[in-house]
Amino acid sequence: MRRRAGLGAIQKHKLEQEKYKDKGNEIQENQFEQMTKQLEVFKVNLEEFATKHKNEIRKNPEFRRQFQEMCASIGVDPLSSGKGFWSVLGIGDFYYELAVQIVEVCLATNYKTGGLIGLSELRSRLIKARGKGKQHQEITQDDLIRAAQKLKIFGSGFTVVPVGKGQYMVQSIPGELSMDHTAVLQQVTHSNQAFVSVGYLRRELGWEEGRARKALEHMVQQGLAWVDLQNLQEKLYYFPSLFNACIDSSSDF
Amino acid sequence: MSEVEIEWPWQYSFPPFFTLQPHPETRSKQVSAWKSLILEYCQKNRLFIIDVREAHQLPLFHNSSINRKLDPSVIISILSELSKTGNAAALDKPRHRWEVYWHTLEEWASMIYEYVCDSGMQNSVLTLFELAQGDDVQGRDFAGIHTDVLIKALRVLESERKCELILSDEDQGVKFF
Repeated sequence: MRRRAGLGAIQKHKLEQEKYKDKGNEIQENQFEQMTKQLEVFKVNLEEFATKHKNEIRKNPEFRRQFQEMCASIGVDPLSSGKGFWSVLGIGDFYYELAVQIVEVCLATNYKTGGLIGLSELRSRLIKARGKGKQHQEITQDDLIRAAQKLKIFGSGFTVVPVGKGQYMVQSIPGELSMDHTAVLQQVTHSNQAFVSVGYLRRELGWEEGRARKALEHMVQQGLAWVDLQNLQEKLYYFPSLFNACIDSSSDF
Repeated sequence: MSEVEIEWPWQYSFPPFFTLQPHPETRSKQVSAWKSLILEYCQKNRLFIIDVREAHQLPLFHNSSINRKLDPSVIISILSELSKTGNAAALDKPRHRWEVYWHTLEEWASMIYEYVCDSGMQNSVLTLFELAQGDDVQGRDFAGIHTDVLIKALRVLESERKCELILSDEDQGVKFF
């Protein structure tokens, strides 16, 4: 996967950019302002900048988060700055490269899925993109989990969500996924049909109607689920991130 | 009318695509996808008019394999969105009948005038029939264009003083300049 194509994808997806821009400056406004000014220059001198602020980046999770968000909003990939930066933070080359590619795949599919992707779908896309060499084929689920978890140093931007039975989803748009929401994702994954309903959750999880409805409606509001009102029995909630035709498609709309 | 093979996007087999979404961001993606799909479908099938009352006869608005249909009121609001970019126009007050312009009227006008210049037909008179159905226009994108749409496109050229329509009970023609 060419880095240049990744940068193009980052710049293309206005939705993600807007989300990053909308993040509050409530915390550490001064440092943030300083960083913004420096960003103009640092596109070329990224490593110099990162070395200068490496202590802040290492020690301060909030600073790291805003650093990443700002880079994303101007289409700069902080992970492509070279080995020096990353060895400082203790991440090996292999995982660093994998992490970059995970970010690229997520950013490329977020507009369809609302920010969630199944780990096996992620793996298929990565293998396809990395090339035909044998070393590229042997990416395990475990490799992806480790690489994705490294991305957690950037705060809640990337989260690996276990959905039971050894399956995982990667959430790449910051949002609030509570235990209930995770349970919903588990149910959708196990149902093998990309949708659930209030009735389904009540039966499978023993939840009360209010609790099931609240969890599902929240996921609709997060852009993770779509509603289907044409089923004769009840309202259905579909998850594009788990709908095969969606994940498999490469079309732009 | 025989159906042309269209490559349906993933949304077409996604049941919620046929329900207007409540979440604004999702709805916006949904409407955007519908707009593109409608224009592509009409272009592939050379469909110039959509009657919303008969919309469910089109596979476009009715995917029988998943048993989902797009509600006529939603179809009307999407066509209204398309009209904002010059890609559709309502033909009657209740907005049941719509002309769909996968090329805008300005684009049609431009294509027709280019053909006229290419064929050295300035200062000649053509019947609308010749212009839409003649042997010489086969292979051009506007071949087979609906007469009403053709007239509207020619009116655009008229406003640019590139032609003059000659419409009477017996003849329908146009002179190009």
